[in-house]
Amino acid sequence: MRIVVVGAGLAGLTAATDLAADGAEVTVLEARNRVGGRTRGVEVAPGQWADGGAAYLGHRHTELGSLIRRLGLATVATTMTGRSRFSFGDGPQSTDGRFPPLNATALGDLFDRLYELTAAVRPDAPWLTPDAARLDRQTAAGWLDGTGVHDDARRFFPLFLGEMMAADPADVSVLHMAFYLRSGGGIRYLNAFAGGAQAARVYGGAHQLCDLLAAKLGDRVRLAEPVRWIDQDGTGVSVRTDRAYHQADAVVVAVPPVLADAIEFDPVRPARRATAATGRGCAIKVQLVYPAPLWRDHGLSGWSVSADGPLQSTVDDSPPGGAGVLTGFVTGRQARTFARLDDKSRRAAVRAQIQRLFPGLPAPGRLVITDWLSEPYSRGCYAALFGPGDWLALGPRLTVPHGRVHWAGTETSTEFFGLMEGAIRSGHRAAQQVAAA
Amino acid sequence: MPAPSTVTVDDMVGLFQRILETDGVGPDSDFFDQGGDSLLATRVLSAVARQYDVELTFIQLIDAASPAALTKLIKNFPG
Ligand SMILES: Cc1cc2nc3c(=O)[nH]c(=O)nc-3n(C[C@H](O)[C@H](O)[C@H](O)COP(=O)(O)OP(=O)(O)OC[C@H]3O[C@@H](n4cnc5c(N)ncnc54)[C@H](O)[C@@H]3O)c2cc1C
Repeated sequence: MRIVVVGAGLAGLTAATDLAADGAEVTVLEARNRVGGRTRGVEVAPGQWADGGAAYLGHRHTELGSLIRRLGLATVATTMTGRSRFSFGDGPQSTDGRFPPLNATALGDLFDRLYELTAAVRPDAPWLTPDAARLDRQTAAGWLDGTGVHDDARRFFPLFLGEMMAADPADVSVLHMAFYLRSGGGIRYLNAFAGGAQAARVYGGAHQLCDLLAAKLGDRVRLAEPVRWIDQDGTGVSVRTDRAYHQADAVVVAVPPVLADAIEFDPVRPARRATAATGRGCAIKVQLVYPAPLWRDHGLSGWSVSADGPLQSTVDDSPPGGAGVLTGFVTGRQARTFARLDDKSRRAAVRAQIQRLFPGLPAPGRLVITDWLSEPYSRGCYAALFGPGDWLALGPRLTVPHGRVHWAGTETSTEFFGLMEGAIRSGHRAAQQVAAA
Repeated sequence: MPAPSTVTVDDMVGLFQRILETDGVGPDSDFFDQGGDSLLATRVLSAVARQYDVELTFIQLIDAASPAALTKLIKNFPG
C-alpha cells in the first residue's frame, strides 16, 4: 500500500512511522525546509537548547512519554522554587509561590464557575454536551460578563486563558474553552507545573522528537514540498506539490485545520475543516538568555505574571547546569499588538518590561523571539481556536475520512487537544484508520 | 446563611474532600499536603465566603490549613 502523509509535525510523523512499520510504502511531504511543525529548537548557547514552540509535558501524556523513551530521549523537571513576581498595574511585587496578589475569594469564585463548565462538557464529543448549542454560540468573553464576578477575577481571566490556550476570551466559544480545559486533564492539571501538564520538558528540546522520527524515516520525508492539490478517484489518489505528483492509495492530511482548507481537492471538496470564526491562537515566545539562572540567587523562581505586557508570563526554562533561560509568553490580544511592532521596538519593549519586573537582574545577553503568528505553515498556536458555532459545525466530522483522505493533527484529537500528546494520539488513530480502510 | 459560629470540623472536612476530590481527609490533614495548591485554595476561600460570609486571605489559609484549624479561624472571625 502506498501512503502519502501531508505534514511532518508530530501527528504526521507518528502516522508515517506506524504505517511504515506495518509495511506500507510511505512518503511524507512537508512544506517547510524543516520537520517539527509547531515544535522548534532554539539554540540559546552552544549545544544548549530551549523550545521556541511546544515545551511542556506531564505524566498523563502517556503517548508522548513512551515516544520519548523509545527515541532514547530524557526529560528535565521544570523548577518552580522561590518567590514569584506579579505586575497588575500598581508596580511589580513578589509573592510566595505562584499565587497572584489578587482577591483570592474572587479567583475562587471564577474557578468554581469554570469547574462547573468543565465538569458538564462531554470530552469525547463536545457537540453532544447538554446545552451545547447555547455554549457553542457564546464567547468566553460574553460568558465572563454574564457571571458578574469581581473585578480581580475579570483582570485575571484573560491572563489565565492566554496561558492555558493562547486565546483572547473574545476568540473562543464557552464550549471550546470548557472542552479544552477538560481535554487537557482538567483545570488544575493543565495549570500545574509539578504533578501537572508543565511538570517537565524534553531534555535538549522537543524538536528532537520530530528530528529523530524523521531520521528513521530517512528519504521518505521530503522537505520544501507544500501540498497544493489532492485529486482522488476509484483507483487512487494523486497529490500535487510545487515540485511533483505523488500517487498513493490513501493520504493522511496532518496539518492545522485552516491549512487543510487551503489545499484544493478534486473532484469533491471535503466539508470545511475551519470556519470564519475559527481563530488562529496567538503565541509568541521570547527567550531571554543569561549566563546562569541568576534570579535563583535572589530567591526568585523566574515565574512572573503581568497584566501590562508584552510578556504575560515568564518561566525558568534553563537547561540543567547551563545558561539561564527565562521564557516569556506573549499571547492573545497582546500577541497581535506585539506582532505589528518592528523587531527593534519588540526588543525594546521586552527589555524595558524585564527591567521593571526583575530590577535585580542584569540585562539579558540574548533575546530570541519566535513569532508563530507570521508563520504561513502554522496558523494557530498553540492550536486552532474554535470560535462561536465551530464545535457544532466541525466537531462531528473531525476524524471522518473524505474518501481516501484521512485527517490527523492535534486539532482532530478530543484527548489532549492542542497539545503534543493530542498530535501523537491523532497520528496513531489516523494510521489505524488507514490500515483498516 | 449560617453564622460563622455554627461551622463544624465535619463541614470543613467535607469541603476539603469535595475540592481535593478525595475522601482521605481527616480533621488534622494539611490541605497542601493532600494535594491542594493555590488554585484549589482559592476555591476553599470562595466556598467559605459564600457559606459563612467570612472573607479569609490566602495567607490565613496557609496558616490554618487543616479542617480543624480552619474551623477555629472561621468561628472566631473576625478574630
Ligand atoms: C509557542 C507554542 C507553545 C506550545 N506549548 C506547548 C506545550 O508546552 N506543550 C504541548 O504539549 N504543546 C504545546 N504547543 C502545541 C504543540 O506544539 C502542537 O499541539 C503540536 O506540535 C501539533 O502537532 P501537529 O503535528 O498536529 O501539527 P504541526 O506541528 O503544526 O504540523 C503540521 C505540519 O504540516 C506542515 N504543513 C502545513 N501545510 C502544509 C501543506 N500544504 N503541505 C505540506 N505540509 C504542510 C507544517 O509545516 C507542519 O510541519 C505549543 C505550541 C506553540 C506554537
